[in-house]
Amino acid sequence: MNQIKIKQLFTQYKLLALVIAIALIWSYFSWKTEGGFVSPRNLSNLMRQMSVTGIVACGMAFVIIAGEIDLSVGSLLGLLGGIAAVLDVTHHFPLPLTVLLVLACGLLLGVCNGYLTAYVGIPSFIVGLGGMLAYRGIVLGVTDGITVAPVSTELVYLGQGYLSAEWGVVLGIALVALAIVLSWRQRSSLAKHKLAVPPMWRDALRLAAIALVLFAFVRTLNSYEGIPLPVLLLLALLGIFSYIGTQTVFGRRIYSVGSNMEATRLSGVDVRAVKLWIFGIMGLMCGLAGIINTARLAAGSPSAGTGGELDAIAACFIGGTSMRGGSGTVHGALIGALVMASLDNGMSMLDVDTYWQMIVKGAILTLAVWVDVATRSGRR
Amino acid sequence: MSDYLLEMKGIVKQFDGVYALNGIDLKIKPGECIGLCGENGAGKSTLMKILSAVYPHGTWDGEILWQGKPLQAHSIRDSEAAGIIIIHQELMLVPELSVTENLFLGNELTKPGGRMDYPAMNRRAEELLKELHLPDVNVVLPIMNYGGGHQQLMEIAKALNKKAKLLILDEPSSSLTASEIEVLLEIIRGLKAKGVACVYISHKLDEVAAICDTIVVIRDGQHIATTPMQELDVNRIIAQMVGREMNQLYPLHEHAPGEVIFEARHVTCYDVDKPERKRVDDVSFTLRKGEILGIAGLVGAGRTELVSALFGAYPGRYEAEVHLNGRKLDTSTPLKAIRAGLAMVPEDRKHHGIVADLDVGQNITLSVLGSFARFTRIDREAELLTVNEQIGRLSLKTASPFLPITSLSGGNQQKAVLSKMLLTRPQVLILDEPTRGVDIGAKYEIYELMFELARQGMSIIMVSSELAEVLGISDRVLVMGEGKLRGDFVNDNLTQEMLLAAALDQGEPARAAAH
Repeated sequence: MNQIKIKQLFTQYKLLALVIAIALIWSYFSWKTEGGFVSPRNLSNLMRQMSVTGIVACGMAFVIIAGEIDLSVGSLLGLLGGIAAVLDVTHHFPLPLTVLLVLACGLLLGVCNGYLTAYVGIPSFIVGLGGMLAYRGIVLGVTDGITVAPVSTELVYLGQGYLSAEWGVVLGIALVALAIVLSWRQRSSLAKHKLAVPPMWRDALRLAAIALVLFAFVRTLNSYEGIPLPVLLLLALLGIFSYIGTQTVFGRRIYSVGSNMEATRLSGVDVRAVKLWIFGIMGLMCGLAGIINTARLAAGSPSAGTGGELDAIAACFIGGTSMRGGSGTVHGALIGALVMASLDNGMSMLDVDTYWQMIVKGAILTLAVWVDVATRSGRR
Repeated sequence: MSDYLLEMKGIVKQFDGVYALNGIDLKIKPGECIGLCGENGAGKSTLMKILSAVYPHGTWDGEILWQGKPLQAHSIRDSEAAGIIIIHQELMLVPELSVTENLFLGNELTKPGGRMDYPAMNRRAEELLKELHLPDVNVVLPIMNYGGGHQQLMEIAKALNKKAKLLILDEPSSSLTASEIEVLLEIIRGLKAKGVACVYISHKLDEVAAICDTIVVIRDGQHIATTPMQELDVNRIIAQMVGREMNQLYPLHEHAPGEVIFEARHVTCYDVDKPERKRVDDVSFTLRKGEILGIAGLVGAGRTELVSALFGAYPGRYEAEVHLNGRKLDTSTPLKAIRAGLAMVPEDRKHHGIVADLDVGQNITLSVLGSFARFTRIDREAELLTVNEQIGRLSLKTASPFLPITSLSGGNQQKAVLSKMLLTRPQVLILDEPTRGVDIGAKYEIYELMFELARQGMSIIMVSSELAEVLGISDRVLVMGEGKLRGDFVNDNLTQEMLLAAALDQGEPARAAAH
């Protein structure tokens, strides 16, 4: 009985458990580094580090919720980052054109992956594996295996620039206001349909927590240089993807395709088109991640993004996305990405050997999924 | 000691509070062959799964005595060790392995160190096949080199190799040719002479009559009769299988079908795995406006395949020409079929009906979600309004539309799937086993709804394995057997015996085998 209760608590507050896990990881590292880990400078770095994985994880969350997988994203983001560098360095294209072309390439290649999976019927695992090799090969071909540098300052700004402190404060206030409005709208909608409205204090507490986190977030980053642009982009994507996932027809179909593709098809949904566009979005995100990655490194490296697919997939699973499809959230995936980035960053600061870093990350991923499997009350 | 090899006493099995078996008795003597007969869903397979410990001891009530002693098998291995071997309707062979390797799968003869003792196994395999009059089989070739009929007989060899004392054969002859069936029956006679007992399950009652000593009939999970074969003939077996009284279950309402509006022509479906085999063979029929057309037939007759093909949902290759209101329709995908005015509630609710991760309301609106879109956003208010309307209309019992669909009973899940398809406003509604796994109260409500829809002019095609249901609801009944249309009856003084005789193809001379 007690065990069942713990299980229920876990499933209900899975996100809270993740947040607690992050708090534990952070306190451990800041204890070990004597506060260095939670210094504004390091946290700013940490978030910029996670932004590339985070952008890919946004797209990957949809792919996994739809019951598929995409292993090609690491190579694809390397390829698209490489294309961005070549266009910028070799051909001196203006920045907007470079961005546009790279995003278009990303969408096209993503749609290709989707076409092969959804229409031709090749399992997405294989399409991804093939893409992983082929795209990496193209990167090596395009860059001749050497780093393409130096990229223009405009492009570098995308990866290394900051939002000014004033705008940061404005953004923080706007987000708190948005949270209040959404919460109020949800309450009134629940009341209108005569459904149980949670007690006011609970919502107030939740909003206070959100406000506190945002305050700490803005203040910490402002006391260094401001909110990094990649982090801003990630926040925007979080908003867009959460909107798509919960509010739109397309989002509902992602979940239903992942949960039961056959029933969805028999209900008159064009499931192949849904999958095609999910992979298209994934490609688009690879394009964004590639640009940001090149901008952060200020160069197009032929090995950029190696292993990126595994980080993104791990982030989704740590964040509670179901392996069989049908359930999961984008914010969960981003918290998962934060866990991975924190481990990376903290262990690097402690000068832990690379092999230990890999072992720890692998163990954490396995542990997170084990907790998920163990607490899922035997559905199906 | 008891004379009986096996005694099953008062077997009761429930699924979620629904009785699948309610007090079945079965006794078998060594060397006896029992014919187990009953309609689809009567509980034959459930009973055999209990006997072979697919449902282990403790998941059912009652008692099994094996050679006079209680048998408490916890797994198939336990029951096989006792000598109870089941041969399933589908072949359980590994096509790529050799004949010998298949015969010894799980009981391999080994030399020290776990090496396979091929010479000994090959020798034994050859002996076994010779006993079964299959001498010209090369036992080292992959088993896929031999046809379905041979493979079925090799399954029997595999069972004999496990030293079977009781052999359960579930529809063993469905893929056999006439001459192979003769061989099969001859083998069973040989086994009986050696004291091996058999339970023979088949829809082909001629075979049952030819081979069995005793006939046990079950119906709706109840034991109906145990009769020596000498006192029976095929017609009396059918009478025992059906023997149900029509009662107040069916709310027959007057409604007058109109003009012919729908026509299916030359529907042919090919098997997914064996494209040369036809699952549905050139079936054509018509449907009137506001008519309820029942499609009856035994399991494997091709009914589900037929209606899936009409709806563009058949997984294999098929040909179908569908006309509605005099226009030829493109129903190549479910989406196109729905746009053309068709809707289908599939047979397999769990895999093809509900979407387990969505809530009740989201399941209901899945088919028409696009109509709630305002730009990109789903208008939740409008959606909820529709959902509540549907919940009221079908008296779907759920505390809230936001509950997980899996928390509802089978009947209410079925109503959710039904309302999902009704929202597409079809002219022709296809219902495949609409009341399977649905409790009696919800059944009645579904029937009421069907009559209501028919009165409003919707044409309904209902596939059902329950003959009583077909007769209770339909205006007209199609009977299918072995992929062919075997009868088209107006439901007037029609009896279950007539339908079953048509489905079993009695009354026509025995045809050459299906191959």
